Amino acid sequence: MLDAITKYLGSNVTPGEAGSMFWATIYILLITAGVSLAVLAMTWLERKILAHMQVRMGPMRVGPHGLLQPFADALKLLTKEDVIPEGADKIVFRLAPVIVMMAAFTVFIVVPFGRTHAATDMNIGILFMLGVSSLGVLGVITGGWASNSHYPLMGSLRSAAQMVSYEVAMGLAIISAVLMTSLGTVGTGTLSMIGIVQAQADQHVWFVFKLFPLGLMAFVIFAIAMIAETNRAPFDLPEAESELVAGFMTEYSGFRWSLFFLAEYTAMLAVSSIAVTLWLGGWLRPFPNFLSGSAWDFAFSLVPGLMFLGLAAACFLGVLRMPKIPQFKVQTIGLAAFGALLAFIGLVLLVPGVRERAQDIFWFTAKVAFFQYCYIWYRATFPRYRFDQLMKVGWKVLLPVSLGVLIVTAIVGVRQELWAAITGVTR
Amino acid sequence: MSLNPILRKVFLVDLFKGMSVTFHNQSENERVTEQYPMERPEIYERYRGQPRLKVNPENGESLCIVCNLCALACPEQLIVVKGERNPVTKRKYPVTWTYDLSRCMFCGLCAEACSTDALELTQDYEMALYSREGMVLDQEALEQGQEPVRYAK
Repeated sequence: MLDAITKYLGSNVTPGEAGSMFWATIYILLITAGVSLAVLAMTWLERKILAHMQVRMGPMRVGPHGLLQPFADALKLLTKEDVIPEGADKIVFRLAPVIVMMAAFTVFIVVPFGRTHAATDMNIGILFMLGVSSLGVLGVITGGWASNSHYPLMGSLRSAAQMVSYEVAMGLAIISAVLMTSLGTVGTGTLSMIGIVQAQADQHVWFVFKLFPLGLMAFVIFAIAMIAETNRAPFDLPEAESELVAGFMTEYSGFRWSLFFLAEYTAMLAVSSIAVTLWLGGWLRPFPNFLSGSAWDFAFSLVPGLMFLGLAAACFLGVLRMPKIPQFKVQTIGLAAFGALLAFIGLVLLVPGVRERAQDIFWFTAKVAFFQYCYIWYRATFPRYRFDQLMKVGWKVLLPVSLGVLIVTAIVGVRQELWAAITGVTR
Repeated sequence: MSLNPILRKVFLVDLFKGMSVTFHNQSENERVTEQYPMERPEIYERYRGQPRLKVNPENGESLCIVCNLCALACPEQLIVVKGERNPVTKRKYPVTWTYDLSRCMFCGLCAEACSTDALELTQDYEMALYSREGMVLDQEALEQGQEPVRYAK
């Protein structure tokens, strides 16, 4: 028993591949906890960054710089009354948030945070991700229908129409990235998430820059479609506040509402990690070609620890800049403690053994975090699309362009064979 | 910028412009809000807020001579002044002085009409109260000024 548990540690594969039940469970728990924590951080960051972009300050009262705000929000939501409308279909009403939640979290089984840091390496990983994440629509529709109210129904219908139209372009963009895995030295295409990242490592190029500008175009199409897919601004028509109150979530309150909320942010993280895996090299560090060599490897492995130390320094700077008023004393101490925690994490990440193992996760998370920032950035900047504009962008622009990118990628990929077939010259 | 409109659309130039605006707004120098109870805004000198009745700092007597000009000037007729004459100095002094703040529109005509500059609209802006009755200020409240309830943790 103990042997079976410790044997995995020496291996260099994911727990799913090694067939280790125990470690797979541990990984799943860790990933669930990590994602929930990331969602907590996201809610704080969203409020804070959105506020700064709108030249406000955002939450400042609950903890230093509002750091404890997510916990206050969670407490508020959990203590709220749990209302189910009288005319609602009670079973479906209760089921809907669970479906959305499960669809959002199940996706993370195949997300590779590093070569060994994934619950499992499924050979149809990307297909699995797309399929499961589309299940979220089902929850949205059932939620809207079961509420037995006009606004939620309209919100869920909009959501269905939107997701159907954007999933097509999204799928085509993904296929063009999958095609790229079969190019170059490896010679075999793959749908496995880990395989896709390794293809990028073997070809020494991230797929954004592959066959320039084809990879970039596919990436941009995916980046637009994924915003529509997760119902975020500027494509947040299903929950358009000014038109539909809160869309499909109108009749939900308290814990069930917070499940929807959690699922939305988790889905954002999930689609961002698809984008990172397919185009931005997953867990690979930046500049693998130009700054290669063991010296640079060492330098880049120091980055995670140094970044945490930098964040800690920023916290301490914040401590110095706190207003010197007695009311702020507790908050100042709290901020200093948070800085000390960050500094501790930074120092742990500098330890050689931890450094090598953790840097994969760090680079993956950093790339996903960039996408999360962009989500907030778009929300602060762009006004919402009208419904016909949304459909126009989806069907008349993204779909033809992604189809074109797919065809051109395929042709460029086999250009030598094609040339040989046309001229009759074999090499 | 004289870019071809189609190129502008394809490369999403306008979207990127907007994004650069919101990005630069994040700087702390752009911030326009403040942490109100801790940081207080600077009030302009000509702002008209809480009315104040001045007293002579040497002997604590009211500067008001009950000429009734303020009550006459007030468009809302919310000022009521009654006074008596001091038999020794022959100077009138106020007996009742009420100022109904709940109807005041802070036009400042009373302060302008005051012949002794006794009445003044100060820069105090924290005048919220829990009852309407409390907004009818008497002479004492006008002379002392109302202390706002301070924010405490």
